Amino acid sequence: MTTDISHGLSATSASVSSKVNAGEITVSNVSKSYGAGLFTKEVIKDCSFTIECNKLTVMIGPSGCGKSTLIRLLAGFEKPTTGDIKLGGKPITGPGRDRLVVFQESALFPWMTTYENIMYGPRARGEDTQENRDQADYLLEKVGLTAFRKKYPPQLSGGMQRRAELARAMINNPEVMILDEPFRGLDCMSKELMWEYYAGLYEESRRTNFFVTTDIDEAIFLADRLLIMSNVPGQVRATIEVDLPRPRRLAFVFDSERANAVKMEALSLLHEEAMKSFTGGSKAAADFVEAYSRRSSKAEAG
Amino acid sequence: MDQLVTLLKRAMPFQMVPDDTLKAIAGLAKYESHAQGDVIYHIGDYADDIYIVSSGSVQHTLGIGTQATHLDKTMRSGDVFGWAAVLENQRSRLAKTVCLERTELIRINGEDLINLFKASPALGDVVMSRFATMINKEFTLPEAVAAQVPHFTQAQATMATMATGLTLTMFRVSQWLKSPKPYLMLIGFSILLGIWYFTVEVWKLPRFEDMPGLTVVVKELFSKDPTYGLSLYTPEYYQHVWVSLRRIGIAFFLATILGVPLGLFLGWSKTFREYVFPVFETLRPIPILAWVPLAILMFSGSETPVIYLTFLASFFATALNTMLGVETIDESYSRAASCLGASKWQTFREVIVPGAMPFIFTGLQISIGVAWFSLVAGEMVSGQFGLGYVINTSYTMVRYPTIVIGMVTLGAVGYTTSAMVRMAGDYMMQWRVRELALGGR
Ligand SMILES: Nc1ncnc2c1ncn2[C@@H]1O[C@H](COP(=O)(O)OP(=O)(O)OP(=O)(O)O)[C@@H](O)[C@H]1O
Ligand SMILES: [Mg+2]
Repeated sequence: MTTDISHGLSATSASVSSKVNAGEITVSNVSKSYGAGLFTKEVIKDCSFTIECNKLTVMIGPSGCGKSTLIRLLAGFEKPTTGDIKLGGKPITGPGRDRLVVFQESALFPWMTTYENIMYGPRARGEDTQENRDQADYLLEKVGLTAFRKKYPPQLSGGMQRRAELARAMINNPEVMILDEPFRGLDCMSKELMWEYYAGLYEESRRTNFFVTTDIDEAIFLADRLLIMSNVPGQVRATIEVDLPRPRRLAFVFDSERANAVKMEALSLLHEEAMKSFTGGSKAAADFVEAYSRRSSKAEAG
Repeated sequence: MDQLVTLLKRAMPFQMVPDDTLKAIAGLAKYESHAQGDVIYHIGDYADDIYIVSSGSVQHTLGIGTQATHLDKTMRSGDVFGWAAVLENQRSRLAKTVCLERTELIRINGEDLINLFKASPALGDVVMSRFATMINKEFTLPEAVAAQVPHFTQAQATMATMATGLTLTMFRVSQWLKSPKPYLMLIGFSILLGIWYFTVEVWKLPRFEDMPGLTVVVKELFSKDPTYGLSLYTPEYYQHVWVSLRRIGIAFFLATILGVPLGLFLGWSKTFREYVFPVFETLRPIPILAWVPLAILMFSGSETPVIYLTFLASFFATALNTMLGVETIDESYSRAASCLGASKWQTFREVIVPGAMPFIFTGLQISIGVAWFSLVAGEMVSGQFGLGYVINTSYTMVRYPTIVIGMVTLGAVGYTTSAMVRMAGDYMMQWRVRELALGGR
């Protein structure tokens, strides 16, 4: 059993070291295809990687490379065609309370207030305790939504909804938290704010986190480890350890040489992948190639 | 002036306020300067103004009775106190404030401030909710005190925080009266009545001359001694309305308590749907009138067949819409619920049911409409009393004005019942009311 039953986000380093591997996810030789016969589409092919314990692993890859498919496999809503996925040594057979997945599509319940949404997890499990309610208040404060606790999701701005969603996931204090592009569609300003919120929450809890994104800056700012996906059929092409010090601050991270080195390395890998699908005629890849050349010339100039 | 705006911007309640409104607020502000040891106000003093510290510091000591966790607090530049002046039902000071050094303050009359926000209620609500947060979190007072900040209920944007079914309806009515709609509607009705009046009574067009004229019907309806025995002054009139309403009530009630669960299960469980849906879809398209003979054979008396027919039509509409409602719920909601640890049954109760609610109420609107339709059909064929019966017998007994009285009554009563269903829906789905109010509808 896990030793960490305290619901505070203040997991100490002692409790971290005492639960080695409990939250580690190993994905080995996983393939996933949809359709049958001639129409088979292989989305993920022979993909292997590890999501290490108590680290923030970020996966980045071109759009459509099978990231969300992988998330559905990790969540247990779908099964791999071949290969297996294990959490703490035990195979994943279905959705479970040990993993908390925040899917790409926003899913705050519109019929519940912000507070009720955040308390949904504890309530569903029959843990509507004072401790959890305090925790909800704390998280509301932390994500800056205290004044909006009694509002319904449609009354919140997009960024507030994302923050509420984060809080709704964090309160369950899951062994593993899996997030699929949680900050998609936000403007730069709120995105950067969200990164700091999220990094702050992570730094307090140091739980195992798996974060999927298509944004390289986001990836580098957040990651302990960075997994770079290949084009479809998806595979992990490279792993980069991002050893920037924590707590991270935006200005600081993007001025550091190390961050820029990591960024250039990741971009050149992604660039290769994008070129592959560009020659295959993908419009998204063309955009990416263009954006890339702009960025790298900027990086060289600066 | 600019200095004032910068100061206001630093004050917690005004942080979200745009510059031009800040300028308006700054226009209300008065500047004053105090020496060390000056008492700005005592507990129980009349609370008229709020204060913002510009420079210096002020000791703020809440009274014991306020149940604050921390009574003492030092106010520094940018801090706001004296907020009792914006609370509702609170006209006296809750704290004593003493200047700890030479201090410069600005004061703003609480009432003026609230009046200022009446023009932009949405913003007012934001500011007031920040006041509430501040009172609760920074001054550690119980939420009950914080909750006394005013809400700007009358306005559209604040529907979002306050709307209940009733206030929303009242709001809609007042908005409606302000729009050109009622007058266009009056014109529409006048045209209809005009055509009726002229074709029947003035021009006496062929085939129209047998029809009851407008004046005849109106006179009959309001006559204390009606020629054909039915008017607003005869008890029979109300008896017919009551009988029809009772039948509708029973049938609609049964259709709802059976149709909604059926629809929910049809939408939720694939297996259940495979058993039941084909049967359902075979029976549903059969017109209600085709059921009349069987209904009379199946049920004795005149009351039950009519209720049965009414029920049937309602039931199909309700169940089908509920099922569609369940099908349209985004799967990501159920996925989110199960990730958060909800069981299958919990997901059903807490996601499927509320998620389908908007469709259920659309279904109930349709259901009440078809209920009236089949009620009249049923009453015309079998049954005694009821508005359908009135219309049918008046035809056979050549009491033509009474036919129209029956029809008009059906229109009015039918409209009222569907309005009631809509209000019930608004009341039960306040999250949706707020969503719509926000969408400006
Ligand atoms: N249920 C399915 N049936 C058939 N094909 C599917 C299915 N789900 C996903 N795919 C295909 O798998 C590929 C990868 O989809 P996926 O949603 O995993 O991409 P992604 O990496 O998350 O992209 P994005 O970054 O745009 O969200 C797409 O080409 C998609 O068409
Ligand atoms: Mg995706």
